[in-house]
Amino acid sequence: MGQRRVAITGLGLVSPYCGDLADFFVRLTAGESAIRHLRMEDAPQPLSIPFAGCPGFDPDAALGKPLVSMTDRFAQLAVAAAFSAWDDAGLPRAGDESREAWGVSWGTALGGTLTHEKVYRDLWLKGRDRLPPLTVVLGMNNAANAHISIQLGLGGVSMSHTVACASSTIAIGEAFRRVRSGEAAVMLTGGSDVPQAYGVARAWEALRVMAPGDAETSAAACRPFAANRRGLVLGEGGAALVLEDWDHAVARGARIHGEIAGYGTSCDHSHLVRPEAAGQVRALNATLADAGLAAADIDYVNAHGTATAEGDPVEIAALRTVFGEHAETLPVSATKSMHGHLLGAAGAIEAIATVLALREQAIPPTANLTPDTLDPACRGVDHVFSGRHGVKLRAALSNSFAFGGSNAVLAFRAVAP
Amino acid sequence: MKSIELIRNFLAARQGIEATKVVPEALLADLGVDSLMMLELVFEFEDQLGVTLPDELESPKTVGEMVALMDGLVASQKG
Repeated sequence: MGQRRVAITGLGLVSPYCGDLADFFVRLTAGESAIRHLRMEDAPQPLSIPFAGCPGFDPDAALGKPLVSMTDRFAQLAVAAAFSAWDDAGLPRAGDESREAWGVSWGTALGGTLTHEKVYRDLWLKGRDRLPPLTVVLGMNNAANAHISIQLGLGGVSMSHTVACASSTIAIGEAFRRVRSGEAAVMLTGGSDVPQAYGVARAWEALRVMAPGDAETSAAACRPFAANRRGLVLGEGGAALVLEDWDHAVARGARIHGEIAGYGTSCDHSHLVRPEAAGQVRALNATLADAGLAAADIDYVNAHGTATAEGDPVEIAALRTVFGEHAETLPVSATKSMHGHLLGAAGAIEAIATVLALREQAIPPTANLTPDTLDPACRGVDHVFSGRHGVKLRAALSNSFAFGGSNAVLAFRAVAP
Repeated sequence: MKSIELIRNFLAARQGIEATKVVPEALLADLGVDSLMMLELVFEFEDQLGVTLPDELESPKTVGEMVALMDGLVASQKG
């Protein structure tokens, strides 16, 4: 089978802004932060961090009580986002035999951490000698993709990818390859994570990469590429995309949001947490080659941009290497400044932001960054300080550079209206 | 707590099922109790009533059979 074009026909999100997809992009391009102050009072020691939650998410309303009772919150966010993307693609939820080869590729860095934390607390603190029988199936990392396959009647591959912050970018890339090769006409892909388990938040805190913030300062706590950046802000969420064989999508009259054109990966193979530009360059070049795009064809990059001291300058250095003379005019923004770092869902929510940028011909900014606060070490690209509308975007990249040195990049093309 | 109330509370919380539908002749499968949910129901039952079900157990089919099993175990182990 030859290489096929891959259309994006469905987008779905449990939005941190509590609204729909259109609302998400409007707020994102307006530079509005969804980050709030989280104070966890029922923990052994009160935890106080900036956090991007999904306070409007009602699992019972989205999924129904029977499914909610069988799922950890990370799988609830996954299925809700998948339903939303599936509906957006105009596909009926009830399956038939035509879906036997359709599959799911899902990203999660943490899996059912909330479930594990709750039951382990009972084991250790309450001295219990046994756990609820559903513990294993609630907590397992592939619970999200399994439930999506069951709910949508998808009989092809159902797999999960756990690659830290690159989990869902890799999940989307692997789904893309299945559709492009002709193995599956449709793949549901994306990612979800719930990092607000007390132990998880404390573990990230111990790495000294978390930005501080209180009730007044949390909304502006995440400042990628700024000299006054203090680190990343965690967030929860679920984001899903429907990838579809182009001809299949056209034949059924589906609306096409954009095209996924290429995917590239690499490993720094040098250090667990210190990123290296050379590894990122390899992933960026592999993606451009896979997509058949030249550096000059790219009109926007959604950066990994976590707002850490080490990560931001390395990413800009990698972009400058790959884009050469075009780097100075290459629009770059880090939307994590507004929706936070969703870990295993980060790549998926940023892929959605990138696809919407191409569809709407508008670029979301890096919030909390101005020309005056830009770190000199992060100069050399066209930083997007405020949202841009009415721009001409032909193709864009979305970067995910994970702990472990795993790098993954996706390339998208705009579709003519 | 009576066994029937425990089952009703469990099914209301887990499946959103109204108490009026949880009657002795109702099939547990019709109320959404599959093999996994039965394990959870048994766990809840053991937890709340302080009894232990034997490992080898013929799974009850109806709410009434479940109630009889639970009442019998409570009588024999707590009586």
